[in-house]
Amino acid sequence: MLRDDMRYAAARRDDGVRKISRLTWRAGAAGVICSAVIAVAFGHHAEARPAGPARPASGTIVIPAQPPAPAQGAGQVSSGAS
Amino acid sequence: MMTGSPAADTFGVFGTTAVLLVTGPGLLPRAREIADTELAAVDRACNRFRPDSEITRLNAAEGAAVGISELFAELIDAALRAARLTDGDVDPTCGRALSGLGYDRDFAELRAAGNVPGQPASPAPGWRRVHLDRDRARARLGGGAQLDLGATAKAWAADRCCELIARRLGCGALVSLGGDIAVAGPVPEGGWRVRVTDDHAAGPDAPGQTVAISSGGLATSSTTVRAWESGGRRVHHIIDPATGGPADSCWRTVSVTAGSCVDANTASTAAIIRSAGAVGWLSGSGLPARLVRTDGTVQTTAGWPSDDGPAEAI
Repeated sequence: MLRDDMRYAAARRDDGVRKISRLTWRAGAAGVICSAVIAVAFGHHAEARPAGPARPASGTIVIPAQPPAPAQGAGQVSSGAS
Repeated sequence: MMTGSPAADTFGVFGTTAVLLVTGPGLLPRAREIADTELAAVDRACNRFRPDSEITRLNAAEGAAVGISELFAELIDAALRAARLTDGDVDPTCGRALSGLGYDRDFAELRAAGNVPGQPASPAPGWRRVHLDRDRARARLGGGAQLDLGATAKAWAADRCCELIARRLGCGALVSLGGDIAVAGPVPEGGWRVRVTDDHAAGPDAPGQTVAISSGGLATSSTTVRAWESGGRRVHHIIDPATGGPADSCWRTVSVTAGSCVDANTASTAAIIRSAGAVGWLSGSGLPARLVRTDGTVQTTAGWPSDDGPAEAI
């Protein structure tokens, strides 16, 4: 009687493990499919942008890598209003 | 670092003077070709005095959505970014305000016309009235907005030309479009020397200050040059969107360096409009700037080298 109970419990445990395993596998597969769908849906945007100059960061006015240095004499070019 | 003098080419574009410098004399014709192609495309997109431009078509659409090119979308995007970063002080919907002051034609024609009729100013509709859908390549203007991309398009074009020339030809390049300057690639010995002054056409020895830059951009905004008579009073082209009239600023000229020319021009234009509030804003943003008051005295921010003395009165 006790042995039957143990066999029954072991069978239920094995059944539960199989169910969890199946669920885990299906969740993983769903994740892969979702990733693929997202990549297909949005991937064309990256391809559509022509190769051009780097776009400035959108969130702030970008400070220069270094401030202007003092220089002597005439400039090679002028910056003033036009 | 490169040695030797860069090769230079000067030509007219957008009603102003362009200067192209490259660190290889043999590369100048190809560099000019690249610049000409890009500048012609920008002109077709956003010259509001051209009947066949995209901006003219969008402004005439009375609020309807209009199909636009990728280039025009980029230009609108840059203008909206400038507005966002300045809390709307640099606003692309000032087209109607400029037309109301008589600036509805090429500037040379406007200046030649003398005193033109003016209309009462009213606040600009605001940049949030510009609806840009880049995915569908469409744009729409709400609230009677009329676009003018003058505050960003020239600087954006300088950045674009400069980057393309430096990358395709593998050289150092400087592109100046009416004094909006972008540099890219290897730097000549001592840096790119720029004379900062009121009027970009005044020449390399004009009153002002010479500085050297090695990356990004340098731009100057001023109320002194693009000015005309409207309704019997002197007006200029830097519009305060809050009033729809010319900005009433304590600065006559502001020069700024930034990571790009379009960012430098965004900051210099905003500084004119912000008037006394500009110094704190530029300093807080870490942007090196040189600000010239209407009386000619100079103030600098964030590491801009000290000046030789006050700028000459004009």
